[in-house]
Amino acid sequence: MNHKTILLVEDDYLDVTSVKRSLSKLTIDYELHIAHNGVDALALLNGNSPDGTKIKPDIIILDLNMPKMNGIEFLGIIKNYYSLKNIKVFVMTTSSEDYDRVTAENLGITGYILKPLDFEKSKDFPNSSTYQLMSELLN
Amino acid sequence: MTIRFKLFTGIIILISIFAIDFFVNQRLSKEVVKNTSYLNNSETIIRNSNIISKLMIDMQSGLRGYLLTDQQDFLITYYEGLKSIPPLLREQHNLVNSSRQRERLDSINLLHTEWIDYSNSLITTKKDTLPEASARYKELFEKKVKARFGKRLNDAIRDLFQDFDGYEYRRRQERRVILQKSIDDTRQISLILTFCSIMMALVSGLYIIRLITSRIAKMVDLAEEISKGNFKSINDTQQDELRRLSESLNTMSAILEKNFKELQKKNKELDEFAYVVSHDLKAPLRGIDNITTWLEEDHGKELTPDVKKSIDLIKGRTKRLENMINGLLDYARIGKVKRGFEKVAVGEMINELVELLVPPNFTVNILNKMPVLTTDKLHIEQVFANLISNAVKYNNKVVGRIDISASDWGDFYEFIVQDDGIGIQSEYHEKIFTIFQTLQERDAFESTGVGLAIVKKILEDHKATIKVESKLGKGTAFIFTWPKYPVTE
Repeated sequence: MNHKTILLVEDDYLDVTSVKRSLSKLTIDYELHIAHNGVDALALLNGNSPDGTKIKPDIIILDLNMPKMNGIEFLGIIKNYYSLKNIKVFVMTTSSEDYDRVTAENLGITGYILKPLDFEKSKDFPNSSTYQLMSELLN
Repeated sequence: MTIRFKLFTGIIILISIFAIDFFVNQRLSKEVVKNTSYLNNSETIIRNSNIISKLMIDMQSGLRGYLLTDQQDFLITYYEGLKSIPPLLREQHNLVNSSRQRERLDSINLLHTEWIDYSNSLITTKKDTLPEASARYKELFEKKVKARFGKRLNDAIRDLFQDFDGYEYRRRQERRVILQKSIDDTRQISLILTFCSIMMALVSGLYIIRLITSRIAKMVDLAEEISKGNFKSINDTQQDELRRLSESLNTMSAILEKNFKELQKKNKELDEFAYVVSHDLKAPLRGIDNITTWLEEDHGKELTPDVKKSIDLIKGRTKRLENMINGLLDYARIGKVKRGFEKVAVGEMINELVELLVPPNFTVNILNKMPVLTTDKLHIEQVFANLISNAVKYNNKVVGRIDISASDWGDFYEFIVQDDGIGIQSEYHEKIFTIFQTLQERDAFESTGVGLAIVKKILEDHKATIKVESKLGKGTAFIFTWPKYPVTE
């Protein structure tokens, strides 16, 4: 089982907890970093964070509605960095009808996940992005 | 010019023409009567003249006969003439109004008197048996008769009569011509006047009809368009009462259009508001749901039964609120999602819905042939789905029954979804279509009261209608229309 580095970009405490709980139920070796907005997330990726941490995540789980820099802006930036653009990004949002969805998909995301993140349920839907995310984490 | 004034003027002109017509006719017929009396006068004069001259000739013959035969009865005609001629001459004198003719008459009278003197002297001397008388007669006979005194007088009278009659004949001919002319004139002028008045009546009638009816027709059209929701206006350049009416209609149309657009805008805003609000309401709700789940998962063993019960209540209410928000989202989405039209076989669609929604303890009967139409599939499907699932939901029989039928009404179809369920009291027949109105107890049923509101909104979007026929315990029939052809906004 490979060690996975995950970056969660999410401003809502409840959603962060929810993702944490979901991940903890998976028997995987992982390291979770949390940023509360796009600016903090970029700082972590570039090593400009206050404590100087620099990470190279395998997977980014991204919320779209955030203060300072929202998910779409963040996506636009990292997809322009050669070193970052191959990171798998899963967008996580409330509604399947968000008008941002088309924009996000055009920016080359890997999957589109509906909140709440529930790996148990996704086992019934092998075509879903949540299932895809679980597969990524498990291999 | 107002229509009232035009109508009034038209009527006045017509009345004037008829008055002129009447007046002229009166004058003309007076002329005819006058000319007829002139003609009659001439005829009487001619007749009298003939009678007089015949009487005179008879007198002459009588005299001649008496003188030749000495028989007294020859003198009857003579005395007759003697008696009849003077009054006739007097009458004639009165009738004639030309001085020339009067002179002729006087001359005739004079000559006739002379002739009578002559004749009388002959007759008295011949009648007398005394010798002197006989001698006297002889003398007269020799001097006068043989000298053709009487004949000369009579010739002169005849000549005068010829002149008199000739004049009178010409006079009669002239008067005949004048009478004929006055009759012809009368005929012609009345014909022209009658024709004129008929034409005038026709022209003014047509003018008024054209002035009023075509414009009224335009206004009726406009009113119909307005009732269909097309807020047009008409352009009327006349200055009269109808113009005022058409202007009022135009104003009404404009105000209605403004209000209608305002209302549409407000409705749209409301839909968007409902959508945004319900969308945003879901996030914290999900949070509550998450936390309660985590509470149960993490501390399930430590919780007392009371707390567990409270947590279940929270979860129940949360679920209910989520259902309501989803319903509200669905409701708001009707106006938001762009509509697509496709061919829909209603029968097949119902069969699919029945398979999905109806449990095996129900029988569903499609009573007649369902149509195939091009329409908004999502919407018609949603209507049927809501009505069918309601029919299933509100039925407490062991074996339920749902009957579905369709009928063609020309521009639209009418569908009936009839169940044998619990029914609805008549005082709720309006209320059930209002959002979040459900006749069930809050916790007893999985009912948010959105379904029928959605049905009604969809039908309103398609300019269709729905009504319910139901009695408590006797089942319910939902009767709704659906347009045959796509309705454009």
